[in-house]
Amino acid sequence: MGDVDRRPESAEALVRSLYAEHGRSLLAYATRLTGDRAAAEDVVQETLVRAWKHADDLTSGKGSVRGWLLTVARNIVTDRARARAVRPAEVAEIADRPPVEGDHSEAVVNSMVVLDALDQVSPEHREVLVELYYRGRSVTEAAKELGVPPGTVKSRSYYALRALRTVMGPGAEVAR
Amino acid sequence: MSEHDPSQLGAYVLGALEPDEVREVDEHLAGCAECRTELVELEEMKEFLGEVPPEAFLDGPPTDGDLLLQRTLREVRAASAPQEAPVVAAAAAPKKRTRWLAVAAAVVVLAGAVGGGVLIGRQTTDNAPVATETVPAGSKQVMVSDAGTGTTMAATVEPRAGWSWVTVTIAGLKAGAECQMFVTDKTGKTYVAGSWVVSPKAAQEGSRFGGGVLVPTDQVRSVEIKTVQGKHVVTAAV
Repeated sequence: MGDVDRRPESAEALVRSLYAEHGRSLLAYATRLTGDRAAAEDVVQETLVRAWKHADDLTSGKGSVRGWLLTVARNIVTDRARARAVRPAEVAEIADRPPVEGDHSEAVVNSMVVLDALDQVSPEHREVLVELYYRGRSVTEAAKELGVPPGTVKSRSYYALRALRTVMGPGAEVAR
Repeated sequence: MSEHDPSQLGAYVLGALEPDEVREVDEHLAGCAECRTELVELEEMKEFLGEVPPEAFLDGPPTDGDLLLQRTLREVRAASAPQEAPVVAAAAAPKKRTRWLAVAAAVVVLAGAVGGGVLIGRQTTDNAPVATETVPAGSKQVMVSDAGTGTTMAATVEPRAGWSWVTVTIAGLKAGAECQMFVTDKTGKTYVAGSWVVSPKAAQEGSRFGGGVLVPTDQVRSVEIKTVQGKHVVTAAV
């Protein structure tokens, strides 16, 4: 952390730019995990503060910043759920929320790796995957959205998955 | 797809085909080993995509998040410049006195509990920045435990030329906890003597930290540990 510019004005600039670019994504994700907007805001706040403290890792150009932030947010939610779980009085409350699956130290690497890989495939490939997979659209809907024929959506989605495989390497495995 | 056309398989795997198209692909797959092999690979990629939350593809700032931004900036501002300035002239000093009495009582209890207490005390001297086994003359050592937060702290205040070097060893902290050390002098002025994060190892074995503060050792009244978020952890009256 030695090289990080610790002056308040640069800290502020970093936080502002992270917030402007990733705030919506982070808050939406944290809101889904916690099921609570106020709790989600706390998680986002802590995530951004950690990002500032680890600005070296973040600005090294290695890896996806978005992936880093989402991973940290998820770890914070997991840690808080665990901290609450040791107090029996609040167990009922825990049972109501969506489980945060897996050991996060493993899953961490993966969501970052995949986001990274998605950054490396072409924008056309990436947008087709986002429409079909993450937004759950059909070929017909995605074709309308992207303004290309359905046949193009189909072939692009195929080549997008192939490209992803090339970037990830054939030996990659999902950590569980 | 009655004829061989693997490019249909992407949309098939992603569940984006119409029902009749799905049926056609199913029929073809039943008779085409090559496509079945390809399908396995594509399904693996789909599993990878599942590692990324859909929210990862939202951009821009949140709606109605201005207060959140302001709060975050305040926290970062407060944490980015604490080393230079005395933070607060602690107006709440008189109120703290009762807690110190409680802590003093806790010290007595702890001094009696030989095992853990002695161990913690020894670790402090072992790891003090001075190479000698013994603490320098004029040093003050205290040990306290805080029942409310479940922590135990051994603190050593060593005299320097007009200032003090404070080392603490704290048991009972959680890994990842971000702590700040505050030193209050006899006039009630509080100084920050540094901040650190508790490693998993330190959470198990005791977290050690040292910081300098521009208060002569005989003027040090108390050492308090708080989280960076402002929560009280433990206070030692010196």
